[in-house]
Amino acid sequence: MAKKSVWSDNRFWQRTAAWITGFASILLIWLTFDTNAQIAMGNDSDLKNGVTKRVPGPTVINYKITYEMDKKRQHEVPVIGEKEKFFGRDDYSEEEATELLHLGKLGSQSKNCMNCHTLLGNGAYYAPDLTKAWLDPAWGPTGSMQAMTGKSTKEEAMAEFLQNPSQYPTHARMMPNLGITAEEAKGLVAFLKHMSSIDTNGFPRNFGKIQGAVNGK
Amino acid sequence: MNAMFEPFVDVVPSFFGTLAQGPLTLTIFLHTVIVLPMFWIYKQEKARLEQEGN
Repeated sequence: MAKKSVWSDNRFWQRTAAWITGFASILLIWLTFDTNAQIAMGNDSDLKNGVTKRVPGPTVINYKITYEMDKKRQHEVPVIGEKEKFFGRDDYSEEEATELLHLGKLGSQSKNCMNCHTLLGNGAYYAPDLTKAWLDPAWGPTGSMQAMTGKSTKEEAMAEFLQNPSQYPTHARMMPNLGITAEEAKGLVAFLKHMSSIDTNGFPRNFGKIQGAVNGK
Repeated sequence: MNAMFEPFVDVVPSFFGTLAQGPLTLTIFLHTVIVLPMFWIYKQEKARLEQEGN
């Protein structure tokens, strides 16, 4: 009788399959916990000590956020810079900032922003993507929104627009008035500012760089 | 032009970051950890078959 080959031996393939299945299971469980660490929100001391987090702590609203090209990663990343006044203050405590972001998050859910807008990849593209809305040049000193709303800062212009969206002609599809109060608007702007500081690996790509992408307008 | 080796920079440091440096790093890692134990299993099974006289 010919010698039996290992390749046709059932036990060899059973053990190989067991090894690969076991190893892949452990790898996937490990990846799950690794992802938790990757997406965990930072805190105030991280911001003060320059510890990078994909999701910075709520007190990031006290800082200037810019969107800069990262040569190595080949896309733009939010960069947290110097202190910057937000509604006249740059000393929001962790509790105050958390409360403000929470108010904004609840507001975004109760007013169903995602019904038209996209937040972090979730929602619709009937209205502009809000993931990096805070970094949109239209709201900056050279953009048209501050002049249109008669405000001198980005946050005040955004808050004014959110309270009376149907007064300001922006896109062909204008935003309806949702009855957003001044306090809710402040929370929503804080929520948007924090969201724009999240490292989303460059999503949405080329944000604020493409002009006239909608229907050639 | 990119240098062949660049300093490891990641937003949040992680072991998996080292496996995502390029298309080959993950492939080489997975082939290594899957194929190398297969050699070991092969040798064990061969020895067992020889011992059983097949």
